[in-house]
Amino acid sequence: MIDTFLSVFRISVKAIFANKMRAALTSLGIVIGVAAVITMLAVGSGTQKSMEERFSRFGTNILYLRQPWDLDESITSPKDITMDDVRAVRRVRGVTAAAPYISSGFEVKYGITKTTIDVLATDTDIFKAYDWQLASGRQFTEQEISSYAQVAILGDSIAKTIFNDVDAVGKTVIFDEVPFTVIGVMKKNGQGGFGFDMDEGTLIPYTTGKIKMNTGWGNSDPRSLDQVIIRVGDFNKIDEIKVAITNSVRNTHKIHPLGKDDFQLDDFASFVEEAKAASKTMSILLGVIGAVSLLVGGIGVMNIMLVSVTERTREIGIRMAIGATSADIRLQFLVEAMTLSCIGGIIGIILGVGVTMIVAANSTSIPAQMSLSSIIISFAFSAATGIFFGYYPAHKASKLTPIDALRYE
Amino acid sequence: MSLIETINLYKTYTVGDVQVHALQGVSINIERGEFVAVMGPSGSGKSTFMNILGCLDKPTQGKYVLDGIDVTATNLSELAGVRNRKIGFVFQGFNLISRTSALENVELPMIYNHTPAHKRREKAMEALKAVGLEARAHHMPNQLSGGQQQRVAIARSLVCDAPIIFADEPTGNLDTKMSIEVMDLFTRLNKDLGKTIILITHEPDIAEYAGRLITFRDGQKVSDEVKK
Repeated sequence: MIDTFLSVFRISVKAIFANKMRAALTSLGIVIGVAAVITMLAVGSGTQKSMEERFSRFGTNILYLRQPWDLDESITSPKDITMDDVRAVRRVRGVTAAAPYISSGFEVKYGITKTTIDVLATDTDIFKAYDWQLASGRQFTEQEISSYAQVAILGDSIAKTIFNDVDAVGKTVIFDEVPFTVIGVMKKNGQGGFGFDMDEGTLIPYTTGKIKMNTGWGNSDPRSLDQVIIRVGDFNKIDEIKVAITNSVRNTHKIHPLGKDDFQLDDFASFVEEAKAASKTMSILLGVIGAVSLLVGGIGVMNIMLVSVTERTREIGIRMAIGATSADIRLQFLVEAMTLSCIGGIIGIILGVGVTMIVAANSTSIPAQMSLSSIIISFAFSAATGIFFGYYPAHKASKLTPIDALRYE
Repeated sequence: MSLIETINLYKTYTVGDVQVHALQGVSINIERGEFVAVMGPSGSGKSTFMNILGCLDKPTQGKYVLDGIDVTATNLSELAGVRNRKIGFVFQGFNLISRTSALENVELPMIYNHTPAHKRREKAMEALKAVGLEARAHHMPNQLSGGQQQRVAIARSLVCDAPIIFADEPTGNLDTKMSIEVMDLFTRLNKDLGKTIILITHEPDIAEYAGRLITFRDGQKVSDEVKK
């Protein structure tokens, strides 16, 4: 049986390669379709993976309090997120840390070299919220925070870049023309939430961030924060803690009991939703391109197979005369259609893997991850297209009678 | 028991509104090892008769028994098997598959009875040797002369050890010299291998090679003579 199948397969390959140009044009639709499918699957599984990474780094115990990005129109004068909110949140039972969070970029000078650095203005609760550890030195003191001290805690990589292997603690760095004393260096952490990379960044007191620095900050009110990073002790109680935080912030903002929230409290789930929504758009687009290309490619395969059946009517007659059954003829043309679309599939996989690697290398917002299963799935798609669209021509060929087929000129 | 026995065969086609009675009650017995030529003008029903004998078509009425098998009672896929095992075809236009070597063309019938690949190659090579073309085994049909192509087709008809060879105007596309070569080959297959050969032709000198001559006219057998 395998022997027979191999013979049939060889006949198919021969027939396809007899018309190389035609085969190439026919399989183009399949090539594009499979490439789109494979990229789509890679984006999907890449998003999944980046979600899992964030999940394992921060756990699910983190909440983000911030102003909504799209504010309800009925709210005329939304209150900023301030330290009053931070203090209110800290009083909520079950909250273990609440850190102010303002981020921006500084120009940093050391020696004759200039570069930019991510700055996070916060207080010591950020260590508890993100479970960050110091490698050397110390955290901010209350006194430093209240006195707008020009002190900084450097990330692991940036400290090494600036000071090589010399201990940075006690040294002075210049951020946007202002001197800061390094009081600590972080252990290696990796990327944090919302794209802040602690290893390449620096921490300063939030007070200093608002008052001493006068460039690069987006908020008009000197007391407002980008967001508050909140850690809860027990994930199982996260829903009731969210309600308590919401009530507490509504109190601070003096919102009427029937009024709408002028802030937003996100948990891990809503964070995941956002990321998924971004990759979903991309996936849908690729899915549509893939489906349409496979459809068009499949119709192309069907069309060319119908031509092939007509062209080779006499050959079909010969084969029937010497003993081929209808089933043999049907198998031959099905295998041929499948081979044609699988060749397209293989080229499509190569193209798709290439596109995915380019996307993965150049885009941080669209994570893409190649997997063996996505290759297998897209190959299966191409084979299925061949079978589906090859069936009708194959069936047509098998229904010929030997006499009519032999007589065909 | 005869190798081929037809009893009162009728074949009626409907072309548009017109009924064409291509065969009108043909009964013939052909014994194993005979060399039969079938002649007749076009429209005489000889092609229809040959199609039925070759199991490519079924009669409208009547009975056809081939080597003990009641062909009229078999279904289409069984009929394909009967053709494969019992009958070798040689056509006027050679009917080799293009872009496929002589050897692979000869192997073809064995693909359909699921002969293992190494056995196929071996038997196909033997058949090519029998027609004197083993040196051309790997040539494509378009690299062979008409006579050589017809000999490849004959090798293909031998390869499944079928007892019968149907040759439909086998010399129609060949010049005199090649025709003689091919007819000598048929004679040898008949004499040496005991193949039953049924030959359709409209050339009297080609029919001369056969030991028995059947003539058709208007859908009926009009003469049936054994020579000598």
